[in-house]
Amino acid sequence: MQQNSILLLFLILAALATITFLYIYLSSKNVELVKQGMENPLKKRFWFLLILFVVLSIFASVTIPKSPYYLFADETPAKVVHVSAMQFAFIMSENAIDPKRPSGQAIEVPANGLVEFRVTSLDVNHGFAIYNPEERLITQTQAMPGYVNRLRYKFSEPGTYKIFCLEYCGMAHQGMRASFIVK
Amino acid sequence: MESIKSKKITAVWIITILTLFVVSIVLGILMRLNQGGVIEQTPVAFYVNMTTHGLTMIGIWFVAGMMAVNFLLQRYVKTSHTVNILALVFTVVGVLMLWTSTFIGKFHAGWTFLYPLPFKIMWAKWATPVFYLALVVLVVGWLIWCLSLIAQILKKYSISQTFAWQHFKKNPKVETPPFILISMITLVGITTCLIAAVVLVALTAAEYFSKGAFVNDALLMKNLTYFFGHTIANEMLYLGLAVIYELFSEISGRPKWKTTWYVAIAWNFTLVFILTAFFHHLYMDFVQPEGLQIVGQLASYFASLPAAGVTVFSIFIAVYRTKINWSLPNLLFFIGTAGWVIGGLGAVIDATISNNVVLHNTLWVPAHFHTYNAMGNVLFSLGFFYWFATLDTEKIYSGKGTKLILSLLLIGGIGFLLAFYIAGADSIPRRYSNYPPELAAGIPLATMGAAFATIYLIGILIFFFNISKGCLKILSSPSS
Amino acid sequence: MFKNTFLTILIAGGCFLASGQEAPLSTGEEGNIYQKIYNAPLVTSTKQATSFEKLRKEKPLLLGLIFTRCSGVCNPFLLQLKENLQFAANNNSVNVVVLSFDPRDSITDMNSLAQRLDLENDLQWTFAVTDSILPLIQSVGFSPVWDSAKQQYDHDAFLVGINKDGYITKKLIGVRSANDLSLLISSVNNIFSPTYRLPGTNALFSCFNYDPTTGKNTPGLGLLFIALPAVVTVLLLILLSYFNAPKVG
Repeated sequence: MQQNSILLLFLILAALATITFLYIYLSSKNVELVKQGMENPLKKRFWFLLILFVVLSIFASVTIPKSPYYLFADETPAKVVHVSAMQFAFIMSENAIDPKRPSGQAIEVPANGLVEFRVTSLDVNHGFAIYNPEERLITQTQAMPGYVNRLRYKFSEPGTYKIFCLEYCGMAHQGMRASFIVK
Repeated sequence: MESIKSKKITAVWIITILTLFVVSIVLGILMRLNQGGVIEQTPVAFYVNMTTHGLTMIGIWFVAGMMAVNFLLQRYVKTSHTVNILALVFTVVGVLMLWTSTFIGKFHAGWTFLYPLPFKIMWAKWATPVFYLALVVLVVGWLIWCLSLIAQILKKYSISQTFAWQHFKKNPKVETPPFILISMITLVGITTCLIAAVVLVALTAAEYFSKGAFVNDALLMKNLTYFFGHTIANEMLYLGLAVIYELFSEISGRPKWKTTWYVAIAWNFTLVFILTAFFHHLYMDFVQPEGLQIVGQLASYFASLPAAGVTVFSIFIAVYRTKINWSLPNLLFFIGTAGWVIGGLGAVIDATISNNVVLHNTLWVPAHFHTYNAMGNVLFSLGFFYWFATLDTEKIYSGKGTKLILSLLLIGGIGFLLAFYIAGADSIPRRYSNYPPELAAGIPLATMGAAFATIYLIGILIFFFNISKGCLKILSSPSS
Repeated sequence: MFKNTFLTILIAGGCFLASGQEAPLSTGEEGNIYQKIYNAPLVTSTKQATSFEKLRKEKPLLLGLIFTRCSGVCNPFLLQLKENLQFAANNNSVNVVVLSFDPRDSITDMNSLAQRLDLENDLQWTFAVTDSILPLIQSVGFSPVWDSAKQQYDHDAFLVGINKDGYITKKLIGVRSANDLSLLISSVNNIFSPTYRLPGTNALFSCFNYDPTTGKNTPGLGLLFIALPAVVTVLLLILLSYFNAPKVG
């Protein structure tokens, strides 16, 4: 899962940073007076900056095309699911939802087919986060009043997927949830 | 130089900040205990604590940076004592009003009070206007403070000198001290985000008083909210850095740092990056055009270049194989810098759009910002407090005392943060008063977070006790 | 003082806008999206038998549903469509099928309609009838009602976008603007925009407005409010440095 590699990457980087700080700190103890300080600090600073810049640029150019806005943009979805979030429930329907008389239905989507969620909110900002059957967050978008966000995703594994609200929306935020079935 | 008057007000600031800090940590621990199922609070009580914890913490560490900068600025320019007192009064009144709206009025829209949530009354009707009034009091007080400090700097240095533009060329005639440069860059950034708060409150008030005739655009309000919220949370760290630039070498018995061309360039860039990085809060709002999302990612990435390449590297150079008089304050500065870097790594990972899809609004977010606050900025300020409290007296801690405080803060801090990071990577949402059965993995982690935060709190209490003694001594000393 | 004036302007602007945006949210347009259109056999003006499948494989289609005896919306709808199409972006990327939903209409009736509209020789336009209209209108969610008193169908102006694969990508109900037509053309060409705004929710200070002709967002009034803090700060700095300039010498 993506999250595991993220945590691992972070822990490695944090360990490297800690070792560097520790090494620098220890080097200030027991200093011989003859060999003081860093040689050619400006040059070293330049290289340090250059390497950092290159690493960050590579990271940016690799990750930006993977942004959710570009995913499945040129495919036709197999299914559209309309989602209206409201305090403190998600209304989901295969048909458009009338904000004055919102009503939903149980949702079933095909496995491996492209699903488009059209997510909006009827009151405040909400989050629309999809958790897979192993309770891992796999994708999300925000539900903002007045706007519709189109979230596209292909579910490979069949099962019950859960939706949690991830944008704080008031006293029952932690109970705001829904689910759908991938077959 | 530092007069008795300014020492007294600084001592009052420190005692106020540490008192509010202890209360806010307790609120945080209560939240984690509730999530861990150790205690049982209503969701409303939880979210009231959350709202109070968030805004109070932001407020106190912001003013901690400001009052330290104000104190040290007197080495270069004259600052207004009246404005300093005014800022203190506005801060205390603002915080008390905030607490009234939350603890008594049960206002709980979160410290980011994301529009239009404050309009959906789930609390006493008067609590929303009181909350906004509290915000106005704080913002106006801080804006006056900022502008007053900028005005005082501008009395001595021209506008281009304050930004160290003359250092872009070789052999500048006048040197801008690093402390002036960083203070100015940061104060300008703070002024901008405080004005964003003014615009935000004005638009909210327009809707409030129009009784439904005028409705705001949710996207604009969200942008303004994070323009204010993200930027002020970020800028207070840079206030702490200004203090490090001024005091690290001094406390360590090393020559003072100088402004060079790359320092000047780096800090000018920092201003631009800080003011555009807030876009990363809207990655999951697909309504925001992709161009701005990419600006958000690039600004968040490249903000680390001047920070790491100049500030962190300068500290490395200052310490590497160099005889340092290590004591509590410069150790706090050094460890704080490490915490800042590690929190920054967590932030850069989260500021990557393709990672943000699975991290946004999970506990990864509080994980990284608690890293560079609790283990970064707070340590910068504690270092300053200690330095200040020992200005005229002997050092408070022996080697053993220093070790004790640092061990408590480090063990408590790291354990508390790890609980956040692991939960974040495990998809546990932030801002949940209780976890549903599917997210039960968050429950033991919350208890672990509370336990380690208590160790951190003990470290803070010991420190608070000793520092207050020093501060009270300053307060009771004769005025002339 | 300034703040009061500012608020008044804000509120006045809000009132003005609130009164101007009563457009009801049309939920019909959101139905049947990404479902396949029924592949009805068609008879076109050249008397040739064809079908939707053949036509849409050439180019994405805009399908207009009308009947020739209509005394209501059909004529203005087609005239408006003809005019808007000339100015719409990428107007060459689509073909238009005008199909009668009235079983009484023959292909001769349709040909004379094409002549009246001066479109009989326009290769972009196809006028057609079908013998299986019911499954077709069901597949696009169109439901005209026969009014026997008026001897007319009670129905909406109805335009459906169909992409090359035969899926309904977007619908427009009612006589609509050239801008909406451009959005429809983008959608049948599978140009994806990750967001859209609900009709009737255009707030005064929106930050961006999506322009379908370019597929880009143009800055809205709201963006000024995001830029405002930076502008005010620069002005304050200039003012402060003017009044606090260091004394020379």
